[in-house]
Amino acid sequence: MIDRLRAFWRNIFKRENANADLDEEVQGFLEMTAAEKVRCGMAPEAALREARKELGGVEQVKQGVRDTRAGVSLDIVMQDVLYAFRTLSRNLAFSLVVVLTLALGIGANTAIFTIVNGVLLKPLPYPEPDRLLMLWESSPTDRNLGTVAAANFYDWHEQSHSFEKMAAIDPYPDFILNGSGQARRMVGAAVSHDFFSLLGVHMAVGRDFLPEEDHPGSNHVVVLSYSTWQSLFGGRSSVVGSILRLNDADYTVVGVLPRNFSFVSKASDYQSRNRFDLWTPLALPSPPEAWQRGTHSLCVFARLKPGVSQRQAQADLEQVARNLQRLYPKDDKERGITAVPLAQHVVTDVRVALFTLLGTVGMVLLLACANIANLMLTRGESRQKEIALRIALGASRTRIARQLITESLVLAVTGGLVGLALVFAAVPALVRHLPADLPRTSEIMVDWRVLSFASLLSVLTAIVFGLLPFLQSRRISPNDSLKQGGRGIVTDQSGLRGALIVGQVAVALVLLSGAGLMTKSLWELTQVSPGFQTENILTARLSLPPGYTNGNVYGTGKHPRISLFQQALLDRVRPIPGVQSAAFATYLPMTGADSSWAFDVQGRPPKPPGVFDVANYRPVTAGYFDTMRIPVLRGRGFDAGDTGNNPLVVAINASMARTWWNQQNPIGQRVCIGDEKWRTIVGIVGDVHHEGLGTKPEPEMYIPYAQVPNVEARPIIVLRTSVEPASVTGALLRAVSEVDANVPLDQIETMTQVVYGSVAESRFRTCIVAMFAFLALFVAAIGLYGVMSYAVSQRTREFGIRMAVGATRGAILRVVLGKAAKLVSIGICLGLIGAVLLALGIASLLYGVEPFDVATLVSVPILLATVALLASFFPARRASKVNPMECLRYE
Amino acid sequence: MPTPQSDLLQGTLDLLVLKALALEELHGMGISRRIAQITNGTFEVKAGSLFPALHRMEEAGWLSSAWGESETNRRAKFYRLTKTGMRQLHTEAERWERISVAMANALRAT
Repeated sequence: MIDRLRAFWRNIFKRENANADLDEEVQGFLEMTAAEKVRCGMAPEAALREARKELGGVEQVKQGVRDTRAGVSLDIVMQDVLYAFRTLSRNLAFSLVVVLTLALGIGANTAIFTIVNGVLLKPLPYPEPDRLLMLWESSPTDRNLGTVAAANFYDWHEQSHSFEKMAAIDPYPDFILNGSGQARRMVGAAVSHDFFSLLGVHMAVGRDFLPEEDHPGSNHVVVLSYSTWQSLFGGRSSVVGSILRLNDADYTVVGVLPRNFSFVSKASDYQSRNRFDLWTPLALPSPPEAWQRGTHSLCVFARLKPGVSQRQAQADLEQVARNLQRLYPKDDKERGITAVPLAQHVVTDVRVALFTLLGTVGMVLLLACANIANLMLTRGESRQKEIALRIALGASRTRIARQLITESLVLAVTGGLVGLALVFAAVPALVRHLPADLPRTSEIMVDWRVLSFASLLSVLTAIVFGLLPFLQSRRISPNDSLKQGGRGIVTDQSGLRGALIVGQVAVALVLLSGAGLMTKSLWELTQVSPGFQTENILTARLSLPPGYTNGNVYGTGKHPRISLFQQALLDRVRPIPGVQSAAFATYLPMTGADSSWAFDVQGRPPKPPGVFDVANYRPVTAGYFDTMRIPVLRGRGFDAGDTGNNPLVVAINASMARTWWNQQNPIGQRVCIGDEKWRTIVGIVGDVHHEGLGTKPEPEMYIPYAQVPNVEARPIIVLRTSVEPASVTGALLRAVSEVDANVPLDQIETMTQVVYGSVAESRFRTCIVAMFAFLALFVAAIGLYGVMSYAVSQRTREFGIRMAVGATRGAILRVVLGKAAKLVSIGICLGLIGAVLLALGIASLLYGVEPFDVATLVSVPILLATVALLASFFPARRASKVNPMECLRYE
Repeated sequence: MPTPQSDLLQGTLDLLVLKALALEELHGMGISRRIAQITNGTFEVKAGSLFPALHRMEEAGWLSSAWGESETNRRAKFYRLTKTGMRQLHTEAERWERISVAMANALRAT
């Protein structure tokens, strides 16, 4: 074995040496034979001649040896590859076109695949990710999954048996870091003590939380993210034991997360807060207090016990859910539990969009392959004579086929390599332009999966476009081809070419109509009036230290410190030149932040247990409606008189009025929200698309900030300006630090940016699909042009004869265009079927557009037909310009 | 000088080469002459068959080769049996004897 390997090595890589040795050996044999004959008395020349005869040809002997050598088949492959390179470099223009087309096709596909791979296909970056689940509260009526009440989490944890670990995360606590210099807001999360061990993450420095730290009172410990460690402590390993002053309390640093830790999350679960600066223990009281059954704010993670299936776990959870329904009918009557694999959960919203993208580029590649196949066919026809000659000279058909396949592979692999170079260049840029709420973007990189995908794609394309010339070569009969003399065209491939064109037109139509639908949907989306006036608004988030909220008794609606701070700030902000009005709100539209509360209407019969009327809850200050330009439809908005000491009031939006009061006038009616206090409805305001332009406005109730039952420590200040909103940022920052330097201000954005960001995903998707669709149109047009040009060149003589016997130029033009029109219209018919199917498939991505959108289904074929006509017009005109005399003489 | 040429059975040539090299190392022509000698001229191995066989057997590890001087002081490649080659010679020879006995019996049968 080793001898053979060594021989193989020598034959392949030291071929020169091996050949020189062989020369000398055979030459020696010859000379020795001759010398022997001389010794026997022959004359030297005659002896040499005899010896040669006896040897039977020096070259034949050497070839005989070379044929037995190890690795001879590899040798043939190398020969084929070298030969392919020689043939292809002789046809440089052809090869360049093919390689570039392939590079673009394979490159684009691989680039999109890199995204799909990072986001959808890679296993989660945790050990044994298949065992990770998220658990949600569910209801039989509503398909949405809900976050979990702390008490429910406690009971699930206690009563279920399928999980190795179950942990919860409360992603909302914010911390103000003070102590030195300007106060800074830290995005925090509170987690059960075994959250990190559940994921399988080990601290880079220090330790994880201890179980005893997960209790109220002993939870002033903190784990830092890697970047927080770097920025606050310069990466010093002595960080463990350091004290951080957070929210006016001392927290001890116990650990630092590793640099590569990424919290895989769906942006909407955490209101886009998926990069946390620090983590503290959740510290739920155990057993939980009664109110913790009604506040649903936790995300629950679980790791299955080894060998337990998701189905078993779900059955286990249903048992737990039934138990809780019985024990707590008031809160949990209708409540179920749903387990979703973590990997699946984080990508639920993007899966369709990403596969649409992949499908789109896939189709572009298919079109490119069709074009190349056409080129190869044309080239194959002109090579028929060469191949016929080689067959006649004794080349076997398998050898010819192998040669042709090698050529296709050489083209495809070269194209693939260039494409891969494009991918390496393009992926970083692509990642920068990805919409911010796409999950797992940090995991998008070129890895072995991407490389295998590119190689597979190269080989597949080689097969797709190399198959035709191969089949074509099998039909060559050397006899016929060589007999035909100079013309050499025997096989008629026009049917095949026609089929390719039909296919290309169909695929291009599908892509274009998909792009048309998505563009129209995006346009419809941007035409939606959000319910407020977007322009000239600056927004910024304030983080109030706990001193502002401490001491507020729950439900009293008295928060003097916050009210004083807000009033002081508004007083300083309103006189800023360019500021027209200013107000505070807690949940700003299209930021993902939201909250909903159950309410009762005075005088209506009590609802059965477990059933609630729920509306979204919006604490705002006086002037908010005016600043946002949300119209007050009936009654009044809020004013300075709506303080904690005055009667409690509420304003509802039109949706809420419609849903619960229908024809009646809600003004003057009273509702109770969460607490035991009745609030009088004083106004009805316009609907706002709070979740995003694409979602329907939901019922909302606005409450004066000074009268809310409990306050949010992160109010948002909203300024309406008469100048470019971003230009007052500096003045705003100064005003805040003048009022209280311990209040950090961040997320400073104009409302235009906020709204623009809310459609980023849709815009990104539409742009990419539209780009590829036009690429497809272009590729198909080139294909049509190529086929028509070729057909015209083949029929030059026929056209010459026709014209010689009286056909007009117009008639010839009609013949050629008619042929093109036939192919294109078949393609369009097939494409329309595909377009409707595609539209049904992407219906979930569309807004305000029916899948069967007549405008798109009419305008896209017209566009396609026009481009196709243009592409075939030039060859047709060439045909009609044929000079009959010249053409006949030439033949 | 034409000689009665018997078609060499597959394997026969290998066996003859191995046998020819059993005593001492030889160069290509030496092997050819030795085979003619030990078969009383029945087999005259042509270069066109000999050299491919030698290279194949060397790659299989049965033979090793080294450059040396021939009796006429010419540089020549000498082949010798390796241990594997020696083993191969024994097994091949045994097999051959079995076959030839069987063939002889078969042909003698009436």
